Amino acid sequence: MSEVNKKVVLSAKNLEVTFRKGRQRVSAVAGISFDLYEGETLGLVGESGCGKSTTGRALMQIVPSTGGQIFVDGDELTSLNKQEARNLRRKMQMIFQDPISSLNPRRRVKDIVAEPLDCWKTAKGAERDAIVSDLLNKVGIDPAVYGNRYARQFSGGQCQRISIARSLAMRPRLLICDEVVSALDVSIQAQILNLLEDLKKEYGLTMLFIAHDLAVVKNISDRVAVMYLGKLCEIGPSNTLYDTPAHPYTDFLLGAALEADPEIEQSHTTLGGEPPSPLNPPSGCRFRTRCPSATEKCAVEEPQLRDIGDGHQVACHYPLIGANQ
Amino acid sequence: MTNNEVAISPAENVVEQPERKEPIGIFTWLCIGWLALNALVAVLAPLLPIPDPNQMISMPGMGMSFGHLMGTDDLGRDIFGRLAWGSRISLGVGVGSMAIAFGVGGPLGMLAAYRRGKIDVLLSSAMFTFLAFPSIIAIIAVLSFWTPRSLGKIIVVIGISSIPLVYRVMRAAALSAGSKEYVTAARVLGAKDRRIIFRELLPNVAPTGLSFLLFGIATVIALEGVLAFLGLSIAPDIAPSWGNMINDARQSLNDVPQNWSLIIFPSAILCLFILALNFVGDRLRSYFDVTEVKL
Amino acid sequence: MSQDNHSNNQTITSDLLVVENLTTTFHTARGPLPAVGGVSFRLGAHETLGIVGESGSGKTVLSRTIMGLQPRSNVEVGGSVLLGGHQIVGSSDDALRDIWGTKVAMIFQDPMTSLNPVTKIGKQIGESLRVRLGMNKAEAKARAIELLTLVGIPSPAERYEAYPTQLSGGMRQRVMIAIALACNPTLLLADEPTTGLDVTIQAQILDLLDELQLTMKMSVVLVTHDLGVVATRTDRIIVMYAGRIVEMGTTKEVFRDHRMPYTRALLESTPRVSNPSHTRLQTIPGRPPNLLKLTEGCAFAPRCSRAIEKCSKERPDLEPTGTDGHYFACWNPLDASGAPVISTTGSTKEFGEDNVRS
Repeated sequence: MSEVNKKVVLSAKNLEVTFRKGRQRVSAVAGISFDLYEGETLGLVGESGCGKSTTGRALMQIVPSTGGQIFVDGDELTSLNKQEARNLRRKMQMIFQDPISSLNPRRRVKDIVAEPLDCWKTAKGAERDAIVSDLLNKVGIDPAVYGNRYARQFSGGQCQRISIARSLAMRPRLLICDEVVSALDVSIQAQILNLLEDLKKEYGLTMLFIAHDLAVVKNISDRVAVMYLGKLCEIGPSNTLYDTPAHPYTDFLLGAALEADPEIEQSHTTLGGEPPSPLNPPSGCRFRTRCPSATEKCAVEEPQLRDIGDGHQVACHYPLIGANQ
Repeated sequence: MTNNEVAISPAENVVEQPERKEPIGIFTWLCIGWLALNALVAVLAPLLPIPDPNQMISMPGMGMSFGHLMGTDDLGRDIFGRLAWGSRISLGVGVGSMAIAFGVGGPLGMLAAYRRGKIDVLLSSAMFTFLAFPSIIAIIAVLSFWTPRSLGKIIVVIGISSIPLVYRVMRAAALSAGSKEYVTAARVLGAKDRRIIFRELLPNVAPTGLSFLLFGIATVIALEGVLAFLGLSIAPDIAPSWGNMINDARQSLNDVPQNWSLIIFPSAILCLFILALNFVGDRLRSYFDVTEVKL
Repeated sequence: MSQDNHSNNQTITSDLLVVENLTTTFHTARGPLPAVGGVSFRLGAHETLGIVGESGSGKTVLSRTIMGLQPRSNVEVGGSVLLGGHQIVGSSDDALRDIWGTKVAMIFQDPMTSLNPVTKIGKQIGESLRVRLGMNKAEAKARAIELLTLVGIPSPAERYEAYPTQLSGGMRQRVMIAIALACNPTLLLADEPTTGLDVTIQAQILDLLDELQLTMKMSVVLVTHDLGVVATRTDRIIVMYAGRIVEMGTTKEVFRDHRMPYTRALLESTPRVSNPSHTRLQTIPGRPPNLLKLTEGCAFAPRCSRAIEKCSKERPDLEPTGTDGHYFACWNPLDASGAPVISTTGSTKEFGEDNVRS
């Protein structure tokens, strides 16, 4: 999939999100930059504390960004006034991790899916009902049978389907999925992933898929970005990145991933140590404390993302491939 | 979307548990009936054919008889009549003061929980400071000096002193409901704050609020009894209340110990009413709790 | 290397754990719920057994029943669990307490809630040392620090004084393992020990369990929903569905040559790192059954594309395949190479994918 002439739907430039915990400052997202092209799915992967969920929330403006810029179709988010920012909600939607608590247990499914239509007063009466029925059918829930039921009567997978239907009501351009299948069983997970793929094609969506499961992310994404402790380590086309990772952290991550195949040889080296505290991140490259290839240069100079060909970028002084570019 | 309509086997068509709420038991309905009865009597007392509470119509100290269902007190007034009219005061105090407390404390609590930030800090510091002070002392102090005592004054004093507690309860309930992702989801969809508060938060906070309301009314009615003992409720010659009836009975029992109907009836009615309120409050809370795992 | 340990252990030397017809039924307001319905298997010494299944499969209830942790009220346990000669089912609390920690130990999923947050971890480890092995305070402390080193906690002497909240998730799990191993049990039950932990920490913990199994000569039962975890870390696996075993055998055998369609469905709906991006996943239509309303016949039949008439009438028993220890429960199994056999109705209906009406 060539992104060369594709339009940029969302662009993050040096995005920063810093939280205050009393006197301390936690830099959850410490300056990341990436572009999201029209029609693609970008996977954002990393372990807990890497800032991937915070990135998603900052892009959705649920959490305020404390630095950098976010461009959506050319508009810079922080420069918009309150009304314009609210209008942006029609273009960008988000689905959350916990399917059950994403839906108000005391409301009926039909009303939940119609909520955006009601908020924005886009449709009323029969038209509204028709849109809701159509959406529910698309996500595999029969509106005639289940439309009037309360959200609390449904299982995790079904709740996630309802959330997806709700987020599509306004036909957004961009959908951010934050760990949307992590709480689901394997077989239900597969249903939801397939559903997202199908809906993406049908609605012409652009997706940012945030998850910690490497296999899930690869399955659904065109390109994948790897984060560590608030920084972007590597970004590139899924197959390329997984087959030939450039950043040592990505390599370890892939090595640690447990594949459901007893014949596959497991990696011999596991990543030792623990992630450093985000309150006091290492200077220079944040991964250097656990990296076998680290030198003094890594402590002094923070590596920037640079191109190593074919849309593959890495932030490392000694990447595993493309070192001399 | 492909047309892979997989033939559905019957098992899939059924939503697992079409909701089977545990029915509100017969006992709960009895309690609700009892509460409703008292409320009706309180409201309709002037229209009902019950004896005048203030008139000394009969022989004092009479036991139960046809003309006087519960006998007469030491001044010859009909006890049943006094109880019926007394309910106006007691229930009036209960409902009125809770109305004030919820009317002010409820919205403030929810606002603080939803907005957080400065508003929350400001309101909560003030409220929690007031909470730290034993309100009973404040009530006693105010009512001692703010004479002549009337129903309105008592309602206002108790009501205002209950605001911090209601604030805390409603704030906690709203915080818990607000932390759920469907509230975030609503914001992300573009819903305005007002819409979120009324459509998402309120329905989930209301059950807690309702249950606490009932407990609160029960507590205040008992509180009225306490105040009567201290002589700080409505004066018995102006109007009867369950509290001051018990207080009077206590005093006259010292002198005329045989007239047990003086103490039994008001105490029984008060007790049963409070018990019923507590029971129904608890039952409603669990009935509305949708998150309780019901195996 | 850890893999070698698991691939060579084919013969069962002596059976450490023998489970026979184990049933666990919860008596609920809506009727009896047979969470575990007739499970039988054996576990030898130095073996690692994986119990795999989705939610509602009964795997966690099974592990807790084996441990003897089910409450007595509203729970009925039938069958037999023989652990090193001790019968667990129907055992008194005292008898259970005797073997807990010394013969069998358990570690749980969420280390945050499994450790007492207000007690120092050193004390928590030392507790069983002092109560069960009768050590005094100094001895217990020394042994606790030894254990902390054994589970790979850096600066163990300092960490002895730490509270659980001061440790990360991975560290807490190591402490849990240390507590479990304090009295040298011969069997370790691990219920989703790495779920919720980061991938790299998960690998560390699983490596640790491998190592410890060797050094402490234990058997391990690994209960998980993650096929990746069982694939390389277990000798044998049991696949559970709706409270029963539907397939079991050596790990390699079950992965390579599974017969039960549910096993195949589970494997095919798991995304793999080795597959290219946008590989279409096979899905299982519908949802797991309601255990309160189990019908006759195979519990998987309503969702099975290979279901024949017999499947909804009679429940299949576990049948051997001929290969050592490989059993499956299916009337219309996949053939030996794993490829789907033409079902008796003459059609190979594809596994339903999307647009599931659930």
